[in-house]
Amino acid sequence: MEPQKFERGTSLSIFVSDRREDFTALIFAFIIAFGVMLTSS
Amino acid sequence: MIYTIKSPALLIIGILMLVWGGLNNSGSIDGMQSYLQKSAYGDHMKVKEKFDAEYRVAKELAASEGSPAPDMKMKASKFDQVKAEQAKLSNVFGAVFVLIGLFTLVWKPTNGSLDYFVSVVPGVAYILLIAFIVRWGLDPIFANWGKAVKDAGILTWDFAHILNLNYVVLGIVIGMIIVNIFKIPAWAANGIRTARFFLKSGVILLGTLYSAAELAQLGGLSVILIGIFVLGSVGIVLFMGKRMGIPNSMTAVLSAGMGVCGVSATVASSPVVQAKAEEIAYTIGTILIWGVGCMFLFPTVGHMLNMGPVQFGAWAGTGILNSAQVAGAALAFDPHNIETLKVAEIFNITRVLFLPIIVLWLAAWYVKHEEGAEKVNLAQVVIAKFPVFVLGFIAMFALSSAGTFAPAGHYQGKYFSSSEVKEDKLLKGKETRVLDSELMRLREPDGAKALAKYLADTHVVSEGHNVTTTEVYQALGDLATNRKLMSRQQSDILKSVAKMEGFDGVAKGAIENAGKAATHDSKNIKEYRNWIAWLFAFGLIGLGMQITGKALKQAGGAPLIIGGIVGTLKAVGSLAVVLMFVKEFI
Repeated sequence: MEPQKFERGTSLSIFVSDRREDFTALIFAFIIAFGVMLTSS
Repeated sequence: MIYTIKSPALLIIGILMLVWGGLNNSGSIDGMQSYLQKSAYGDHMKVKEKFDAEYRVAKELAASEGSPAPDMKMKASKFDQVKAEQAKLSNVFGAVFVLIGLFTLVWKPTNGSLDYFVSVVPGVAYILLIAFIVRWGLDPIFANWGKAVKDAGILTWDFAHILNLNYVVLGIVIGMIIVNIFKIPAWAANGIRTARFFLKSGVILLGTLYSAAELAQLGGLSVILIGIFVLGSVGIVLFMGKRMGIPNSMTAVLSAGMGVCGVSATVASSPVVQAKAEEIAYTIGTILIWGVGCMFLFPTVGHMLNMGPVQFGAWAGTGILNSAQVAGAALAFDPHNIETLKVAEIFNITRVLFLPIIVLWLAAWYVKHEEGAEKVNLAQVVIAKFPVFVLGFIAMFALSSAGTFAPAGHYQGKYFSSSEVKEDKLLKGKETRVLDSELMRLREPDGAKALAKYLADTHVVSEGHNVTTTEVYQALGDLATNRKLMSRQQSDILKSVAKMEGFDGVAKGAIENAGKAATHDSKNIKEYRNWIAWLFAFGLIGLGMQITGKALKQAGGAPLIIGGIVGTLKAVGSLAVVLMFVKEFI
């Protein structure tokens, strides 16, 4: 495995854990989904 | 630790984007854009020709009446829309990057979240710049070259299409070249680590594009196919691992990686089988070698076999090991449409949903075969390691199927609406007269006999039943009377009947025109597709930058042999099953 290079996150992610990354992606995707819905209607 | 690196790079990228936006807005690069956006430019010239003719007539009419020349504006063509989108994206991101770029040059960073998140921006800008170059420049250049070489007779096939030299593959390859040959600049390193986040966001957002009917069709198929191949692969790896005498923990993580969804399954199953770091590294290396190879090979094979979106999506989602490479292959196969990606992701997500079952199986297998194996709390492992973004996709789909984001019937990006047909798109008198006479002809004994035979021979089906001659008469009569198509069902019936031998050419054209007039773009779905395409393009270029020679070299020995055998079996076996049993229905 790659040595821990980052104080925060991993070499594959800026987030401290996969779970945090998943939840942030979830929020981001929902913002886009509702944003498109509101701006297009 | 301070993450932000002082560099003018972000400012320069921002300025480059603003320049591109300005050039598009001013029309200074229309010559170059007409080459890059050939088909859109062709459409633009048609719209312009029509407008010029209308304007000439209106001007002459105004002159004859002694009134001033009319104030008319040409409606935006597809070419104008493409340029406007490029200008908008370049200007918005360019302005943001210039501002943050200037800020980082004058700011003295201190330990904390602001420093951490500001340090991410240059890498994001770096990937985005490559995405712009690849999507707006290299992709259309290769597409033009592929067609030119074929048209010139140098090759009998379109090399850019068959070799998938589109923005997805080119982006990944450029990413791989940068990381392995030139190295990623230090100022961009932090931002590159956002690639997986954007890929996950893309998968969740993809949930907005499914209709309940589509998912019902794909869901059943995916559970059967994935069930067979996931359980089969895990079983074969466990069997081979025992036969080849590799450690139980190594065998177990390899089986999860080869069977379920690659890297995340490997990581999720590692605690229950007490896998060592080097065993995880071996497995990830094996999966990466196989996944990257498949990502480039599958789309080419798919084009050579003339596969459609359902067949290819099912094959990629079953046969390719790692989630990111499934998305890469599906988009490489069909980069300008999201249909293949939609199918592939359903299969991929079904596979991820098998993860808890596989973790339980591996735990039981490991305890049985390993002496002195420590007991692990399985429920805790599954809850802690299950990828939540998959549940996000399911939640998004649930909202989507309830009609939250777009009405039912809009999911293909286009929808049928008779009531929205504009006045100037109604059929002209000549067309309705020809449709009437075609209706008369088909009502006469010979015509009716020919029509009945055609409907029976070609099995024209609508809404689950064989179409009757009465329905055809009704549809033709309605079209001639109303000058527009009244329902999707009638549209489908007439489109099929228009293919009948001896059907009048003008009537056929009228049906096509009426079909186009009643088919409208779904604004929301178009916008979602655009977002998804950019999120995946961004994520996959970043992913390319994470495929290092060092990671691939981790593979080797018995795990690589087992991985190669099982990966080949899975790819070839799933291809055979898909070709035999999966039919196109999108």
